[in-house]
Amino acid sequence: MSPKKVFIALAALLTISACGQPVGNGKTTDDAGANSPYGFTTAAQKDGELLVWVDSTRLDAAKAYQAAHPDAKLDIVTYDGNANGSNTLKTKVQLFDKAKAGWPDVAFTTDNNTAAWASQPSSGFTAPLNKGYLDQATLDGFAKGALDPCTVDGTVYCLRNDLAHVVLWYNKKLLDQFGYTVPATWEEYTALGARVAAEHPGYIIGTAGDAWAPEVYMWGSECPANQVTGAKAITVKATDAKCARAASMLDTLIANKTMSTLSLFGADFAKTQGDKVLMLPGPNWYGGAVFQGTIKTPAGEIGVAPALKWADQPAPVTGNVGGGAWWVSSHSEHLDAAKDFVTWVTTNDAYQAELAPGYPAYSAAAVKWLAKQQASGYWAGDIGAPITAAAGAVWPGWGAPEFSPESVWAKTVIPGMTAGKTVTSLLPDWQKAIEQEAQVFGYTVTK
Amino acid sequence: MRSVTSGGRRFGPAPGHLFVSGYVVLLVAFGIGPALYALYLAFTTNMGYWAGIDNFTKTFADFRFLPAVGHVAAYLVLWLVSLTVLVVTLALVVHSVRNRVAGSALRFLYYIPGALAGASSVLLWLFVLDPSVSPVAWLLSAFDLQTFNQVIAPGNLPLIFTVIAFWTGAGSWIVVLYGALNTIPHEVIEAARMDGASALTTALRVQLPMLRKWIAYMLILSLAGGTQLFVEPQLVSQASFGVVGTDYSVNQLAYLYAFNQNDFNGSAALSIILLIFSVACAALFVARGRLFDVD
Amino acid sequence: MSTKALTGALLTLFALFFTIPILWLLLASSKSPAELIDSSPYAPGSLGSLTDNWNSLIAFQDGAVLTWLGNSVKYALMALVLTMVVSIPAGYALALMSFAGRRLLLIVTLVVMLMPATALVLPTFLELSYVDLINTSWSVVLPFSFFPFGVYLTYIYFGTAVPRELLEAARLDGCSEAGTFWRVALPLAKPVVALVAFFSFTNNWNNFFLPYVMLPVSDAYPMQVGLTQMLASTPTFNPVVGANAEVQPPTLVLATLLSVAPVLIVFLFSQRFLVAGMTAGATKS
Repeated sequence: MSPKKVFIALAALLTISACGQPVGNGKTTDDAGANSPYGFTTAAQKDGELLVWVDSTRLDAAKAYQAAHPDAKLDIVTYDGNANGSNTLKTKVQLFDKAKAGWPDVAFTTDNNTAAWASQPSSGFTAPLNKGYLDQATLDGFAKGALDPCTVDGTVYCLRNDLAHVVLWYNKKLLDQFGYTVPATWEEYTALGARVAAEHPGYIIGTAGDAWAPEVYMWGSECPANQVTGAKAITVKATDAKCARAASMLDTLIANKTMSTLSLFGADFAKTQGDKVLMLPGPNWYGGAVFQGTIKTPAGEIGVAPALKWADQPAPVTGNVGGGAWWVSSHSEHLDAAKDFVTWVTTNDAYQAELAPGYPAYSAAAVKWLAKQQASGYWAGDIGAPITAAAGAVWPGWGAPEFSPESVWAKTVIPGMTAGKTVTSLLPDWQKAIEQEAQVFGYTVTK
Repeated sequence: MRSVTSGGRRFGPAPGHLFVSGYVVLLVAFGIGPALYALYLAFTTNMGYWAGIDNFTKTFADFRFLPAVGHVAAYLVLWLVSLTVLVVTLALVVHSVRNRVAGSALRFLYYIPGALAGASSVLLWLFVLDPSVSPVAWLLSAFDLQTFNQVIAPGNLPLIFTVIAFWTGAGSWIVVLYGALNTIPHEVIEAARMDGASALTTALRVQLPMLRKWIAYMLILSLAGGTQLFVEPQLVSQASFGVVGTDYSVNQLAYLYAFNQNDFNGSAALSIILLIFSVACAALFVARGRLFDVD
Repeated sequence: MSTKALTGALLTLFALFFTIPILWLLLASSKSPAELIDSSPYAPGSLGSLTDNWNSLIAFQDGAVLTWLGNSVKYALMALVLTMVVSIPAGYALALMSFAGRRLLLIVTLVVMLMPATALVLPTFLELSYVDLINTSWSVVLPFSFFPFGVYLTYIYFGTAVPRELLEAARLDGCSEAGTFWRVALPLAKPVVALVAFFSFTNNWNNFFLPYVMLPVSDAYPMQVGLTQMLASTPTFNPVVGANAEVQPPTLVLATLLSVAPVLIVFLFSQRFLVAGMTAGATKS
């Protein structure tokens, strides 16, 4: 039994070492599929199970697909969905690239950094979707800008599952009780912060303790810290005036204690500030995850206002906090099945309108999803209009490079804030850290 | 070399070769082989051409390299010193407990955390170090640590990792050293006592030298484990949403090179650097602990 | 007198240090998510909450936790058998037999023990993928069975605790090398056999990195890799999973407890034997 296998392994090892085969794997030169109508070299198509990787939340999507297609042969595998910069998909794909086998046919990720590496010739894992593989009509059904994080040089590599644009959440009951009106601009918001600090100390109007603070505040301020200008080019101006104004707002609010520096999902927050949330700028999924999930605000209190804008902006622009995406492997031997699967899970109401926890990226499903939310009776007032309006207002100047600028923020700015430094004083550190991280991944950096 | 002592049966493979054969096969397949391949990677480019020391200079120049080395060095110093001092002390003290029941109960209590190595122990400590749920919140607040982010401030991390590693690892070493202390014949200890030596003197003069080999052994393995610091910062990073970077330790950096930057050559170079460092330290311990002397 | 008080205090302090987190683990697994944060860390939860946590743990991905536990047992036991068969004779030979290359083998063993895991995992992966073993049990069992630590432990034990004269005597009595090992050395080595078995089991049970790389399919994960998947499904540690997340913190605590239970049980039953065995080895010398 085992010794035999060991000897085989040993022999194999010697072979590998001796040959020293060059690593770095281009597209397969399998000419059978080189002239496929899909715009990429396809593998020989076979019958068999479709291998689907999802995170535990999106397991429901795969199961819903299976329920709707009893004859479909699926092999569903759950993994962490690339959460928190774990890079699981990247790690595994690189191992599969070396082994030249094992790729999933379809994968779901929660991050927006996959297109930047998986589309590169060195991997070539993701299949281009808009070069003949998917119908243009399907792609056109997604919200404006929804496919931006999937797009590299005009080629679309993924279908967005959900959008995560920022709106202003507020506690209507408390605002009415205190006699405040909902602010429309960040300037009004800051001024209201000062009043809250003086009149109702302890209440908060936002949080900045998480890694996505830059996506909420900097992105919405059109801060040019993360402008991806080419496949391997990035412009970083983190000390720009537009970044400085957001930083100085954060500093003011942190100083008067109306901006929490606790992590929103840490146990501290729910315990000490959960019932003190007056307003909270944040993505649309905060509604379910924060108010209903973490701090359990009673029904009928929480409302949504349009995303805040700076006084000099003609209309609000917002940031984007996460929002998952579906990818198809270019190595897939079941491209037809994969196409049907990704199209169904992103566009079909049976999943997107009925089951999905976040705002669907597919416009038609989003309308129904909002109607269902509204019908739940939890919300104070109409949440549909402000959320829909903000969906098309994501500022396109914030890119999705191969690394995560949010994790750079988490590593450089948050410890400084915890130690009592101001965000303004940390901007140069943030600038330097982004530059260094970009260079590690071979980006040309423009300052 | 001493291997020729039993002359007379030196024709062909000795029986010893048969005894070690299974191990040697595994050693080649999963130790030496992969190591040589890593060495090959460290000196070549990703196209398989000779790269000289380019991979090494590249990693040295990486802005993350020196901080990572600093983190690991700080952790190693804390960890090895606390391990040597505390484990040896505790083993001696536990061994001196006369009451058999109390002694074995203590060994048992100290050992229990050993069951929680790896991800399990880190997960538990993530809770213990979070002031909002911690059973020792009073202790944390005595150090003015009110939130999880304050606890995991960069300056505290080497200490935190030392505490976690000590908590999981110390117990098994106490058991091992205790067992080693038991192998010291009673007569030797009694003789020292008869000569009027105090318990402390006995420990220092008689027991400690007998433990030398075991202490060296403990240090080598702890060094090997310590330089490979990975799971702890990785999970702390995940749980803190990246406030602790994923490039905290050298091993993590090697991992990032391989799986994030697709640079297996740079990764191999980093591993070789780590290895050279570890072997140098281990050689020191081997020499000091006279680990290769059989007699 | 004061020395006695001092040692007493020292021993108690460390006993608390080692046990409080465990105690907390036991208590916390019986709390509801709200109780975990609000009630005193030392207050027990309720049986009802424990049942709830257990049910949601079992419900997680249709009982994935049980699959993972089963995998862990399978990998750790298979590797344990191989490790024992391979390591004990090797350690014995290194300590008490003469053969060409003995010293070299010792040094290489030591050096390999120091190799950073990441450096070995990739080449090992390539090697195993070449022989098509990736995603099979062998891809973790075989590397697990390579346990230089165990060989070294055996080597040190035979080198320090078993008198060479005894073995010489056996050989003079006409025992073959194998017979000497089997009839004389092995019975003397019971304590170290137990130690190596124990460390091998614990190590393999707790290993994270290797199975993480070798086993791409979640059905094949061992418990430790599964745990991090649960961590990634807990909103406190990964908010992206949203409000309906399947895993709440106390469920994660219970999973942690479950992941260490087998090792704890093995230790409970063997600890007497482990330590008593070492003493027995000593009295013979």
